Amino acid sequence: MFSSRLTEKTRRDFLKLSAAGVFAPTLSGWLPVMAKAAAESGRKPVKSCIVLWMDGGASHKDTFDLKPDSKGAGEFKPIKTSAPSVEISEHLPKIAEIMKHGVIVRGMSTPEGAHARAKYNGHTGYREGQGGLVYPALGAIVSKELGAADGAMPNYVTIGGRSFGSGFLGPKHQPLLVTDPNRGVEDLKAAANGTQFDNRLGLLEKMEKAFQREYQADAIVDHKTTYERAVKLMQSKEAKAFDLAAEPASARAKYGTGRFADSVVMARRLVEVGVPFVEASLGGWDTHQDNFKRVKSLSEQIDPAIAALVSDLKDKGLLETTLVVWMGDFGRTPNINNRGANPGRDHYPRAWSLAMWGGGVKGGTVVGKTDKEGATVEERPTNAQDYLATVCELMAIDHTKKNETATARPITIVEKPKPFTSLIV
Amino acid sequence: MWFRPLALFTLVAGCAVLVGDIKTADAQTAQQKKAQKKALKKGMTPATPGADTTPGAPGTGTNPAGTTTPVAPPPVLGLFDAEVARYLKQIQDEKAATKTTPATPTKTTPSVKGSTKDAAELAKLIDAEIVRELAAEKLSASSRCSDDEFLRRTYLDITGTIPTADKAREFLDSKDSDKRAKLLDELLADPHYGRRMADIWTAKLFPIDSANRFVLKEPLHKWFEEEFNKNVPWNKLVTALVTAEGTVENNPATTYFLANRSVDKLTDTTAQHFMGIQLQCAQCHNHPFTTWKQTEYWGMATFYSKISVDRPKNANKGGDNTQIGVTEGNGRNKVKDFFPESTKTVPAKFLGGESPKVSEGTPYRPLLAKWLTSAENPYFSKAIVNRTWAHLFGRGFVNPIDDMLDENEASHPELLAALAQHLGTTGEFDLKYLIKAICLSETYQRTSRPTADNKDDKYKFSHMAMKAMSPEQLFDSLGQVTGFGKGGAERPGKAGVPKGTPNGPRAQFVNFFLAGAESASPVDYEAGIPQALRLMNSAIANNPAAVRTVIGSATKPEDAIERIYLATLSRRPTADEMKMLTDYVAKAGTPMTAYGDILWATLNSSEFTLVR
Repeated sequence: MFSSRLTEKTRRDFLKLSAAGVFAPTLSGWLPVMAKAAAESGRKPVKSCIVLWMDGGASHKDTFDLKPDSKGAGEFKPIKTSAPSVEISEHLPKIAEIMKHGVIVRGMSTPEGAHARAKYNGHTGYREGQGGLVYPALGAIVSKELGAADGAMPNYVTIGGRSFGSGFLGPKHQPLLVTDPNRGVEDLKAAANGTQFDNRLGLLEKMEKAFQREYQADAIVDHKTTYERAVKLMQSKEAKAFDLAAEPASARAKYGTGRFADSVVMARRLVEVGVPFVEASLGGWDTHQDNFKRVKSLSEQIDPAIAALVSDLKDKGLLETTLVVWMGDFGRTPNINNRGANPGRDHYPRAWSLAMWGGGVKGGTVVGKTDKEGATVEERPTNAQDYLATVCELMAIDHTKKNETATARPITIVEKPKPFTSLIV
Repeated sequence: MWFRPLALFTLVAGCAVLVGDIKTADAQTAQQKKAQKKALKKGMTPATPGADTTPGAPGTGTNPAGTTTPVAPPPVLGLFDAEVARYLKQIQDEKAATKTTPATPTKTTPSVKGSTKDAAELAKLIDAEIVRELAAEKLSASSRCSDDEFLRRTYLDITGTIPTADKAREFLDSKDSDKRAKLLDELLADPHYGRRMADIWTAKLFPIDSANRFVLKEPLHKWFEEEFNKNVPWNKLVTALVTAEGTVENNPATTYFLANRSVDKLTDTTAQHFMGIQLQCAQCHNHPFTTWKQTEYWGMATFYSKISVDRPKNANKGGDNTQIGVTEGNGRNKVKDFFPESTKTVPAKFLGGESPKVSEGTPYRPLLAKWLTSAENPYFSKAIVNRTWAHLFGRGFVNPIDDMLDENEASHPELLAALAQHLGTTGEFDLKYLIKAICLSETYQRTSRPTADNKDDKYKFSHMAMKAMSPEQLFDSLGQVTGFGKGGAERPGKAGVPKGTPNGPRAQFVNFFLAGAESASPVDYEAGIPQALRLMNSAIANNPAAVRTVIGSATKPEDAIERIYLATLSRRPTADEMKMLTDYVAKAGTPMTAYGDILWATLNSSEFTLVR
């Protein structure tokens, strides 16, 4: 008669215990090990992560993995960087100066060649449709595992376009979406003036108290928490982080101009007030045609923005605890296609690059290596799970933990990863 | 069949527990479980004629092995014996009738002489079982809910929206002693019932997937709406889905296949939604928790192996996705990605059952549908009963509701079995009847106010769970009060948006509140900061025209406040609330501003967004 409760309860207890590393020997002591490793390296856990998503998939051979002697070498020349023996595209000169704070992962190799599915994989570590579930994106995982439950600021913000959400973790971990960084957060301002809004909140509070007294349901408390956080955000000085008008023009200028530059400025402002995860995206990388002109122009947008971001974070003492990631859907074909007068490169998930700065990484490191065409990964191949688990480890999130779906299915944060943390810290 | 006498017995055993004979009940439950497992191994298919005629007289039970266990006749003690005895007699009558007219394999709902669908009687059976469990757990039951709780709860559960202020006033003021039952009939006949059910089932059968971005969702939703409003029996509705052929335009049920365009997705969704079984793990390996083997999985998948499902076209490039659909092929589908890499080619086999005789030239799906939806399938009827219960109570007898493993035992296994058995036979898979019966029960009609000792109970239904409105319920209810989104009408899209794509305010609102999840939790409040900001600060709750509409012709503050409460919370304010709010209005400079504030507060209150 009690067994259903026991079964459910036992399952929950098991999850809790395994999350705490009590049961499974493979999990036990995971966190202490990480903490020890961090202590030995003198590294602090990363508190915030900024992902800069190159929507459409950036050509690796024209950005961070140039192959000047290959068949499809393209037009761009490699240049030296501040990291010894690390070369990148000539159109990223400012990023070249900050490579001593960065890591390039040149062995990315992923299973999805269609945009939507590739983005899903890169954000969640799962393949779309797998197991009939919708999986949370990294930002939602960070929100769940590290985010303040009752702070004024949201724990996951995306700027400049739709992103991936919280999946089965539920709307609490959904990103706060800023469509246009110059307009800030939607619905942030009360419709009524200050006094009237306070009056309204006073009424609401009285209603809530009476209702909770009588019905005593958890949902009433959760509603209260969410509303309190939303009101705190409306009234907090931290919400100023969403107001780019408050950023001095001289400080903004070095990020460049345009929506991406503005998004990156906002990302930095959000990290400064403690937001643990921000994603900003830049579209236009799907360069099936006119690859070189377009990649050059896109490079000129990311180059000042990322360089300014990294140097500002460094100046503010935040670089060690902030990880900046540059990545996209996939790479692009090593060969140049023959689509018309201004050809381009097509989708290529088999070998591509991502880059990271800050977060206590060992500057100038390169993980993985492609062959001379940039077509196959020859050393240390890495996939989306490996990357996600590495970010989790840097942030001291136990990626072996299982979270429960609405129907109580236990799902590992990252499934079967081979993190490359030890290679970059 | 043996299942019936067992259900019957368990009820008898149930009475025994009421008078303290726990041993009998436990022994009986164990026996039932053993028998169930055995039957599952044997294969419960409609192709076992005469199963219904297994002899079993009252007071004796026969298990499949043929041994007879004597069971004491129901003692004439306890509060609910009369009701239970009546139900037992009804089942006996059914059985007697079945004896003379043996069920044929094709009949899934044998018409049995002397049996009637009596929702009130079924409600009493539910109460007897629930109360028995509460007594065993020494939990008190919360009292009967007030009329306003009942009104708002049934409106939201059945039609997905709150009642209008006028309706609330009329119901609360009615002196008719039968008004609750009459309201249930009214709500079940309301076309919004179909919309509510369509919201639930479209979300389940049309997964969020980039592969579905060109598949039209609206035709399936509309089809569900119509079928549920016509109250097509559940077995017939599922048969229509599983065997659908043709194009979206002439048979919208084909959308089920278009939105699940591979053999493994179809197998998973069939098992999960219609049988309450999560099979997907068995696709690549033997299921870790249960007995499903990979070959069982691919045996089920084979039933879908011959169909050919059209690929949706890019509607932005002029593709007309009303003209695509499903055709029955002569041989195995040749499209490569219709089969995943892990595919095993094995003969068609019912899950946990037998391998039917199939021939290449005939379609497989009708065989699957017949087996799947038969009253003898031990999972089909239980799955829909469990889902319906969860729909109304916020949690099922078995939770997760789609994980009905032997290891995951139900909180009320006897009641679940009895309801499933009844629904599959006398109940004719009539979902409106099942919902009405449950809503008539005292169990459903308990208040969600807990007592001192049952506050922590979530499993025994001692009080009604506080449910959270789904995004659809919230949108429709907000729309009703404020006119926001015009009550959910979907506007035709801008140029270039394909026909049938729901892109109106309702779909946008739902997407925003679901935030990428497939469905909202029934009992947890899940909205985050962006949603709270929208409810507080957008035009939804800040519309002066809406305030005027809600207040109407009221001139006195008391009347205006009452109207706001009836329109939003479906109740009148308490004396304390009335005093607090009239004081508020008196203090405010202009009454209309104060009414706007009160409406804002009620719309943003947890009482509005929760279903008490």
